[in-house]
Amino acid sequence: MSTEDTTSTELDELRSAVRDFMAAKADERAVRAAIDSERGYDDKVWAQMAEQLGLQSLALPTEHGGDGYGLVELTVVLEEMGRALLPSPFLSSVVLAGTALVAAGGDEAGRILPGIAAGTTTATLAPPSVDGGWSLGGRGAGDAIAVTASAGTDDVTLDGTAPLVLDGAGADVLLVVAGGPAGPGLYAVDAGAGAAGLTRTPLPVLDLTRRIAKVTFAATPARLVGAAGGAAAILDRVLDVATTALAAEQVGGARACLVASTTYAKDRVQFGRQIGSFQAVKHKAADMLTRVQVADAAAREAARAVDGVADAPDPGVAAAVAHAVCSEAFLAVATENIQVHGGIGFTWEHAAHLYYRRAKASQLLFGGPAVYYERLLAKAGV
Amino acid sequence: MPSEMDQFVAEVTTFLDAHATRRARAAEDVAWGEGEDRITYFSTDPPEVENAKVAAAKAWQRTRYDNGFGWLTGPTAFGGRGLTTLHDLVYDGLEAAYEVPETGVLSLIGLGMIGPTILAHGTDELRQRYLPRLYSGEIIACQLFSEPAAGSDLAGLETKAVREGDGWVLNGQKVWTSVAHHAAIGLALCRTDPDKPKHRGITAFIVDMTAPGVDIRPLRQMSGGSEFNEVFLTDVHVSDDHRLGPVDGGWGVALTTLMNERASVGGEGAGPVGRAVALPFLTELLRANGRLDDGAARRRLAELHADTLATEYLNHQMIRKFRAGEQPGPEASVSKLMYAQNLTRGAHFAAEIIGPRLIADTGAWGTYSWTELLLSTPALRILGGTEEIMKNILAERVLGLPKEPGIDTRSPFRELRRSVGSTGSGRSGE
Ligand SMILES: Cc1cc2nc3c(=O)[nH]c(=O)nc-3n(C[C@H](O)[C@H](O)[C@H](O)COP(=O)(O)OP(=O)(O)OC[C@H]3O[C@@H](n4cnc5c(N)ncnc54)[C@H](O)[C@@H]3O)c2cc1C
Repeated sequence: MSTEDTTSTELDELRSAVRDFMAAKADERAVRAAIDSERGYDDKVWAQMAEQLGLQSLALPTEHGGDGYGLVELTVVLEEMGRALLPSPFLSSVVLAGTALVAAGGDEAGRILPGIAAGTTTATLAPPSVDGGWSLGGRGAGDAIAVTASAGTDDVTLDGTAPLVLDGAGADVLLVVAGGPAGPGLYAVDAGAGAAGLTRTPLPVLDLTRRIAKVTFAATPARLVGAAGGAAAILDRVLDVATTALAAEQVGGARACLVASTTYAKDRVQFGRQIGSFQAVKHKAADMLTRVQVADAAAREAARAVDGVADAPDPGVAAAVAHAVCSEAFLAVATENIQVHGGIGFTWEHAAHLYYRRAKASQLLFGGPAVYYERLLAKAGV
Repeated sequence: MPSEMDQFVAEVTTFLDAHATRRARAAEDVAWGEGEDRITYFSTDPPEVENAKVAAAKAWQRTRYDNGFGWLTGPTAFGGRGLTTLHDLVYDGLEAAYEVPETGVLSLIGLGMIGPTILAHGTDELRQRYLPRLYSGEIIACQLFSEPAAGSDLAGLETKAVREGDGWVLNGQKVWTSVAHHAAIGLALCRTDPDKPKHRGITAFIVDMTAPGVDIRPLRQMSGGSEFNEVFLTDVHVSDDHRLGPVDGGWGVALTTLMNERASVGGEGAGPVGRAVALPFLTELLRANGRLDDGAARRRLAELHADTLATEYLNHQMIRKFRAGEQPGPEASVSKLMYAQNLTRGAHFAAEIIGPRLIADTGAWGTYSWTELLLSTPALRILGGTEEIMKNILAERVLGLPKEPGIDTRSPFRELRRSVGSTGSGRSGE
């Protein structure tokens, strides 16, 4: 999918359209209302994202109801969502499930994708291992595959428990990597109407803006997506795309923290001076800016690489760099943001903890430092 | 039909094939245990070796220039080729595959900082006189900015320039002047009006380093060599046509030099030093020391690699912006900070893996040789504006945080306090 033709002016226009939308629909009050709601996000806003801006369809292929853009465009959207902390199933449905389905191909994927693109279906992809991780490697006990599938294509049943499924309680379609007769494969469960033997338990979450559920399958009917035993290649692509998408979200969140700290450092007066004139605070802000600039560069480069832009680096390496650098940067900046705000930064009413929660949960979502640094070395051939 | 860039590549390749030898292996391939193991940032060569290297650098620059590759981005009127930064990058990429002399002694300061400053602020006469000679490798230029009492607080400089006839007489002392001992000219900042606020009474001059009254004394660096100097100016005559920019307008000239300095320092990613702390070389280092399966070592290697690549991505994006005609922005300071940090971490990581064989020269390949880099990295946090000053700049200019209170930019320079003992009314500062 070529994205080299989108000019920087067009990207700026996309950014400002999404930013305006977020300012109107996802200010802090709206975010907190969504956090306290049953569903965890505002489904009217979700529908408007599709109808007014076409965000869900933006980077999905045209043959499945998408607009055919790539990560270069999608990451602009994700950065703005991250900045606003928008609670929505975008990462689970469009990024994780959407990428898995496109990578898998075939009729079943073709059946589900148009609904995702239109925003009328939400889907998610469960992490494959019993500990909620994303490895199929089988190196540690935690790498064992959580769910198994019976033989067949259309009349398959799934058994097992996926412990940590993003938006798992609300998604209409659950995609599951399950151990099958031909090795790990991708399977789809129609969960909307409540499938047989399916139990979905919402879990208490660190990041209040993203829901997670435990999902148990007991002889639950499912269909194979793509080739039997084809999950490994699908997952590799999903992880490159999802960590790149997450990196853009993290940059957006980190930027919001930097802006909050800078604004506060100009407003707050102690000892008769703006606290931003104290060099300890000033240098903290400069460190935050440095981290954000470098993270931003890493996220952009990963998007170009995953889109296959001509002079971009290897996508696996660039995605792994972005995942590591943006995870560390967001966490550091979100942590310092609390410090710059002092006592008020530690209150429930202040937004600082919402970013800190998002930063920590995002860092660990795909395994955390122990996993992402090894992934980088593996991609670099070490 | 071949594109303009394809033609350029062909032209460069023909030139390099004719004038240099292709390297036996690709620049990024690691030849573990073979050949030169020194990782030199600041030179520790004895004078005769250093002088021979300078001569080789000048000769290679001359060859580049005579063949049209000496100053790709410069205007044709002054000996340049009128091409783009992209051509520069393409050229550097191609040249990296050949054995050619290091030209840092010319390029870092003279071509990277002083040349652009003369181009931006010089009269046509000055540009005509010096730019072709600089970019053809005939002469080397140095930066006469820092003084004993004016480092970070550069605008506090005290070297005086006083009008005399149709020229000026300079008196004062400069310090930390890199490559002054090889330089034919220097860009000097001088106080021309002490009754004006400190930023507004400075004027810039091109000084002939061989003129009577210019006394260059080498300073030995902690790394062992002597690449910087003290420069004493005693009644040095400079004619007014060697003034750069308006009288008392030297601060604006200095800012051009400093902007180019940040880009020049932060942008030096590649080269032998960059390769030593890059993943392929460090991986071989771990392998050779049996540490490739050591989780803690792998973790540090990966952290370093992630930050190094991300900094490289930032530099590439900065270059793409230049290419699109944008000015150097805060990225230059960010990239300078990251460069110093990454190189320092890389050197200390290697040291940890090597262990005690780094502290005495046992003769083992690739062990004691790392001391040169370890003894050089502290300078990266100081030269071209210290880490602390870079952070002040980022916080104040980019984020808009308030300036340090009490920094006096309004009182006449002569009333400012310039040392603990002096009695000026203000205090020195930005
Ligand atoms: C290898 C090398 C090569 C050099 N080459 C050249 C050259 O070619 N030409 C040239 O003109 N100069 C050159 N310099 C000089 C260099 O620019 C200065 O050393 C540098 O700007 C710092 O000035 P200073 O040494 O006087 O330190 P100072 O300014 O005295 O700083 C001492 C310490 O105080 C800190 N500090 C000072 N002011 C502040 C502040 N406002 N806020 C917070 N911290 C502060 C500094 O960060 C530093 O840690 C070179 C230096 C080195 C090390």
